[in-house]
Amino acid sequence: MQMPLDVQYILELLPILLKYLSVTMEMAILGFCFAIILAVILAIVRVFKLPVLHNFAGLFISFFRGTPLLVQLFLLYYGLPQVMPIFAGVDAFSAAIIGLSLHFSAYMAESIRAAIMGVNKSQMEACLSIGMTRLQAMRRIILPQAARVATPSLMNYFIDMIKSTSLAFTLGVAEIMAKAQMEASSSFKYFESFLAVALIYWAVIEIFSRLQHYLEIRMNRAY
Amino acid sequence: MKKHIKLIIAAAVAVSSVVSIPAFAKQTVKVGMSGNYVPFTFSSKDVLQGFEIDLWNEIALRSDYDVKFVLSSFSGLFGMLEAGHIDTISNQITITPARLEQYAFTTPYVVDGVQIVTKKDRDDINSVADLKGKKVAVNLGSNFEETLRANDPKQEIDIITYDTGFVQDVVIGRTDAFIMDRVGSAALIKKSGLPLKLAGKPFETIENAMPFLNKPEQLAIRDTVNAALLSMGNDGTLAKISIKWLGSDVTQ
Repeated sequence: MQMPLDVQYILELLPILLKYLSVTMEMAILGFCFAIILAVILAIVRVFKLPVLHNFAGLFISFFRGTPLLVQLFLLYYGLPQVMPIFAGVDAFSAAIIGLSLHFSAYMAESIRAAIMGVNKSQMEACLSIGMTRLQAMRRIILPQAARVATPSLMNYFIDMIKSTSLAFTLGVAEIMAKAQMEASSSFKYFESFLAVALIYWAVIEIFSRLQHYLEIRMNRAY
Repeated sequence: MKKHIKLIIAAAVAVSSVVSIPAFAKQTVKVGMSGNYVPFTFSSKDVLQGFEIDLWNEIALRSDYDVKFVLSSFSGLFGMLEAGHIDTISNQITITPARLEQYAFTTPYVVDGVQIVTKKDRDDINSVADLKGKKVAVNLGSNFEETLRANDPKQEIDIITYDTGFVQDVVIGRTDAFIMDRVGSAALIKKSGLPLKLAGKPFETIENAMPFLNKPEQLAIRDTVNAALLSMGNDGTLAKISIKWLGSDVTQ
């Protein structure tokens, strides 16, 4: 009879899967960088209620929060090239990063907006009274304070993003989930393969959770 | 005058570079596959291998293409083909009337169908006609029972429906033959190592091939692949790849 759990197989599989961890992390980190830039822009547009742009940002957030990430990835990678052939040139890896950043920027914009709103109004008034423009006040005084408030929820989104990269296999990106699935289907050791990949995700996210904790302590030192 | 000479030189350089580049760069063909269909395309110990991989490595040799394997979940493959992310799919795609309307297929490289399987050492059964008066096993719930009955209007075959264990009964001689799909049978025999063989050609065949988009550039690749497949069929390479992965020749 077969052993209920083949530990030896898991130990053999882990180094193979770890080789593809860089693909997963690259997607998550690049996606997060683009998402945060986009989210800050969206949040500022929303806070200042800039005409037209404000409506556009509202529509953008509504769409990307209102539809599943998988649907967005499929639209981007399989759908768009049919109507705009130029998008056929976007490879799966880039499409996954674009999809992840668009999707998560919508969520992150809302928590950054909330963090900005959370900074006391008197701060902005004080800045304006000494002659700063609203954008200067935003950059020098408001955003640094908002960043402290937004950090925990942004880190949550980053963790969520790491896990969401597993959807990239449906576009053909060879990341760790894809590899685990392929090894499982040739060895028929589904439990061991998916357990191995779950352990890797768990370990990576545990590292980032510790990092978040440390970061929060650092940012709170001034208070 | 000097300006003219410069212009001519620049033009000459531009023309020569445009002309010479295609001569050096091999065309890359992107082949989509699922990477989780044993023994056709699968990854074991991080090595992508299988029937389709060997097939395309050989096509690459004979056509002078660079072949790039693109892995994706099976459900995404046709979307990638439509979107132009891949040139074709090599994943045992069955030719159906609906797909034929949409795609240009290569010549079939695997013929699947309803197959009679017998013990290795007997040669009295080679077609449905030979099953007259014999005990034939079919799996409960499969459509092979129906297919077999449709081929047996006088009801001369003793059809036995099994839930499990029909393979073993043929091996020990309690039953004369069993009916299953051909590629599945071949894979089963290869994997189990049981003394069984595919008896005769399959009936009610289905054919598997690679689909291409109906565009001039894609059709050109399709034709080159066809030429490679034809020469591989003629010199026995196709059969060799089939025997390596499936234990028997299912390519014709």
